[in-house]
Amino acid sequence: MKNITLLLILFSTSNIMAQPNCESFKYYGDMIKYEACQKAMEIKGHYQFSKEYQTILDKAIAIDPTYDYPYWAKSVAYLKSGDFVTWKKLIDKAVELNPIGHLGYRGWCRYQFFRDYKGSIEDIEKLDSLVDYDIGHSQNGTYHLNIAKGLCYKGIGEREKAIGILEKQIDLNEKQDFIGAYDYLHLGVLYYETEKFEKAIEMFTKQAETNDLAENHYYLALTYRELDRLTEYKSSLKTAKERYLDGKKMSDPYSNPMDKIYLEDIESELKNG
Amino acid sequence: MKYILKSYRKRFLYKTLLVLNSTNQMKKPFFTILLLVSMLSGCQTDKKEDKNPKYLRWVGDIVQNEQTDASGFRICNGEENVLQYFNLGEGPVYHGEKKSIVRRFKSQFTPIPDDKEDGLIRIRFLVNCEGMAGRFRVLQSDYQYQEKEFDSEIVSQLLSTTTSIEQWEVLYRNNIPVDYYMYLIFKISDGQLTEILP
Repeated sequence: MKNITLLLILFSTSNIMAQPNCESFKYYGDMIKYEACQKAMEIKGHYQFSKEYQTILDKAIAIDPTYDYPYWAKSVAYLKSGDFVTWKKLIDKAVELNPIGHLGYRGWCRYQFFRDYKGSIEDIEKLDSLVDYDIGHSQNGTYHLNIAKGLCYKGIGEREKAIGILEKQIDLNEKQDFIGAYDYLHLGVLYYETEKFEKAIEMFTKQAETNDLAENHYYLALTYRELDRLTEYKSSLKTAKERYLDGKKMSDPYSNPMDKIYLEDIESELKNG
Repeated sequence: MKYILKSYRKRFLYKTLLVLNSTNQMKKPFFTILLLVSMLSGCQTDKKEDKNPKYLRWVGDIVQNEQTDASGFRICNGEENVLQYFNLGEGPVYHGEKKSIVRRFKSQFTPIPDDKEDGLIRIRFLVNCEGMAGRFRVLQSDYQYQEKEFDSEIVSQLLSTTTSIEQWEVLYRNNIPVDYYMYLIFKISDGQLTEILP
């Protein structure tokens, strides 16, 4: 599994930005922000959807309206409830106050929750233009932000551009031995969709070696079908169904990932194949 | 308890069937439009106000509106125990998987001629412990996340299809079926239904 498990564990507690260091404001003499930060920290123990959580953050904003953290923290519940209007107002404020701190997050969420491909690309590319270091991963740790950007290019139909971005990032990820949970699968599907079948097989095989899922076997089957390798096509479909029924499939707590398949897809192929 | 739930379910289904059945028998489109407009006006209440927010128990909680919400819909475990779909750790799940939902909407949605609108439409609702849905609310925006109102016929179609789904997935916590909030987001591009989320 290389470091996929580690990556997922590291990012599975979704509030990566949840613990600002209030003392740093004090150290630099910004006592208003320090006070706002201390107030904001009172959310500890409250559910992010709750009245208490939101009210505490309102008070923190009242203390220092230029402090980005409370806007971001407030926005999360609206995002998760699908209230894109309120979420966007709050996260825009956080981005305005601290673009480097929140552009990557906003870009990722625009993709993950709303499939806002263009908006996501804009945010991730803007972040990339502002920093001279690695822009990092999505909030849930599933993807490097460049992989997410590549998927967004696929979303707007620019498959060759997406392939270039994914190839480049996967190459970097391999060098760091830090492969995303679905990286090979997505690149394999892109190869399949652009009829680069041998490369697709290579990626689906790599996906099976790092994080074996129903999806890599399903798309492998489709690739074999295109190559008239019908025995392998059928056996891959059979394996895909086994993996699916074992629960080894793409998942996300909030949305359905790109390239995810359903049992119906497999059974339909088994029936017609 | 079981009897009470079954009784609610029967009453709700009866009412729904009565409405749908009578709609089918009404050949005059006027009555169909009237029904959808009535449903729509009852659901377009999710306008956003920034100033002095008055929070309910949780962000996004939907309070029963006796005038517009179906009277037969009841939650099972109390308002204070309603969860979000993602609290159960299963991700967004659909009865019959997502493909069946997508197929239903794609087959029933008819684009409005010459309507080239873009944006997002969210329909949020409660699913009770029996997998029945109620308290539907609509939120609409353009692709810049600014609130707007789509052509009412677009919204009424999506709302009508959503409310016609009789069975949603029953989710459990500690082996007890729970009530939870669920939503569907529809991406509309050039007046076409392009994606359904989550």
